[in-house]
Amino acid sequence: MKKIKNHVDELFKDTPNSEEKETIKQEIYQNLEEKVYDLMAQGKEEEDAINKAIVEFGNIDEIKSELGVYNIDKDVRRIEKAKIDLNFSIWGSILIIALMIFVNMYYSPSTIWFVYPTFAILWWPLIMFYRWRKLK
Amino acid sequence: MIRSDIIRGHLESIILRLIYENDQYGYEISKQISLRTENRYQIKEATLYAVFQRLEKKGLIESYYGNMSHGGKRKYYRITTLGKAYLKETVKEWRETKEIIDLFMEGLD
Repeated sequence: MKKIKNHVDELFKDTPNSEEKETIKQEIYQNLEEKVYDLMAQGKEEEDAINKAIVEFGNIDEIKSELGVYNIDKDVRRIEKAKIDLNFSIWGSILIIALMIFVNMYYSPSTIWFVYPTFAILWWPLIMFYRWRKLK
Repeated sequence: MIRSDIIRGHLESIILRLIYENDQYGYEISKQISLRTENRYQIKEATLYAVFQRLEKKGLIESYYGNMSHGGKRKYYRITTLGKAYLKETVKEWRETKEIIDLFMEGLD
């Protein structure tokens, strides 16, 4: 029966810990064990019965997605990333625009040209903002 | 074996029906399904537990811990009032679906 316990542990090793996970692990373990005893009662060797139970169990991903942890986690991470990108773009464009203003004022204060590159650069944070909003 | 993706869409009803008849635990249900279909359809345990989770979240079934078996506690499921109503609805829906599909599937050889 140790093999079954190990197998169940293995199946769930990537899932974050939660009370729900423990309950369902317990339930699966319990029922697999039951199946093994039943198969043995039908005349199978213990080793065979355990292997059969494990093979017939099927794909774990369904339960995982039902536990709901996976997808939410991924989305949160993507939003976090988009937020960092947005912050970076804001700081980056502020610095570049500040440099443009400085160069403009210092070398050619009579003609105001820094507005043109400013508009061009503003596309950058704008894109990042909408990308972040789309994910949110 | 039968194409399982069609059955898959009705697994909730199938399992609900079995729980409706008697309170059930996981392995008993998978055994019942194989038995009644004479092994033409076998449910994967993983699928079964996914369906349990879904049904329980929807409030159609509830679980409780029952008697010991080989030293462990069995988790049983029973149907709720909402579950019964839902099952009745699905049966009605299925009859209608069957009639419609039959219109196109019957009469050919």
